[in-house]
Amino acid sequence: MKSAEAYEHEQGWDFEKAAMPYVDSLYNTAYRMTRNSEDAEDLVQETYLKAYKYYDKFEEGTNFKAWLFKIMKNTFINNYRKKKLTPHKIDFSEIEESYERVIQKNAPDLIKDPESEIFQDMMDEDVKRALDSLPHDYKMVVLLADIEGFSYKEIAEILDCPVGTVMSRLYRGRKMLERTLLEYARKYGYIRGQAEPAKMRSRKDEEKGHKKKEQPGEETEVQEPEENEEEALFSDDEDLELELEEEDNEEFSIE
Amino acid sequence: MICDEVKRVAYFFLDGTLGQTKCIEVSKHLGLCPDCEARTTIHRRIRIFLKKRLARLTAPTRLKQRLTRSLRAFAD
Repeated sequence: MKSAEAYEHEQGWDFEKAAMPYVDSLYNTAYRMTRNSEDAEDLVQETYLKAYKYYDKFEEGTNFKAWLFKIMKNTFINNYRKKKLTPHKIDFSEIEESYERVIQKNAPDLIKDPESEIFQDMMDEDVKRALDSLPHDYKMVVLLADIEGFSYKEIAEILDCPVGTVMSRLYRGRKMLERTLLEYARKYGYIRGQAEPAKMRSRKDEEKGHKKKEQPGEETEVQEPEENEEEALFSDDEDLELELEEEDNEEFSIE
Repeated sequence: MICDEVKRVAYFFLDGTLGQTKCIEVSKHLGLCPDCEARTTIHRRIRIFLKKRLARLTAPTRLKQRLTRSLRAFAD
């Protein structure tokens, strides 16, 4: 019979072994959520301690990584709930339209040179800014699906929402992100075969002028979300009516 | 299948979550429609780009140390 201490020690060791492999993933996502490294570290720390505390609640055989992410998401929400959050209405039709405009204009250039990386010269700062311009819940699904590789079902569990909502947010989040990236690419000359380097040079001046209007995404030392950011935390969600297939596709069976 | 429909489901086609029938229809359409083919290629390439650019961060060593220390303190 194990002593209480031995049991606890073993459980601690088990947890550490199980959980530490995910630090990088969690940190990466935490950083994308909080936008500065200090808050990201605190968030990950808090997540691990909570997870350890509730380790006995974890169901063996289920997705441990998803469980950790769910704890992190809840911790994040709780920390930000202290501030007032109002849903922000995104006019998605406007986004669709601007997407159409920018893709039609640039598609021929974008498919040239298919072997090279698209937007190879784009600065990390711009990618970050594009991501940060998304409402929080669009950003989350894009990160969870496209960066962390979770399935729709796992994302639905992490975010505690229906699979249909996940798909809807993914569609909109991805589209919005693409639209913004394409606009930056066009504006700052990241599309091969287009703008001359001169466009890049004039950019710094433009940025200064536009500083007030820009999304606060660039600032890495932001500790609290600024006002317009708080509003952008949640989007106006509608489940996308997608006739996604058949019984054979297990992803969409509602349990 | 018409372009508008393909545009709506393109992401899910790339995700591999479209049912088989729809998947085949989309593939057929992409074979015949250069515009939709171009778009889908662009989606794919942007996704690769984002994965590369947004997945780089690793947790600072000090965080890993902090975590190990806290967890062990808890356990003792």
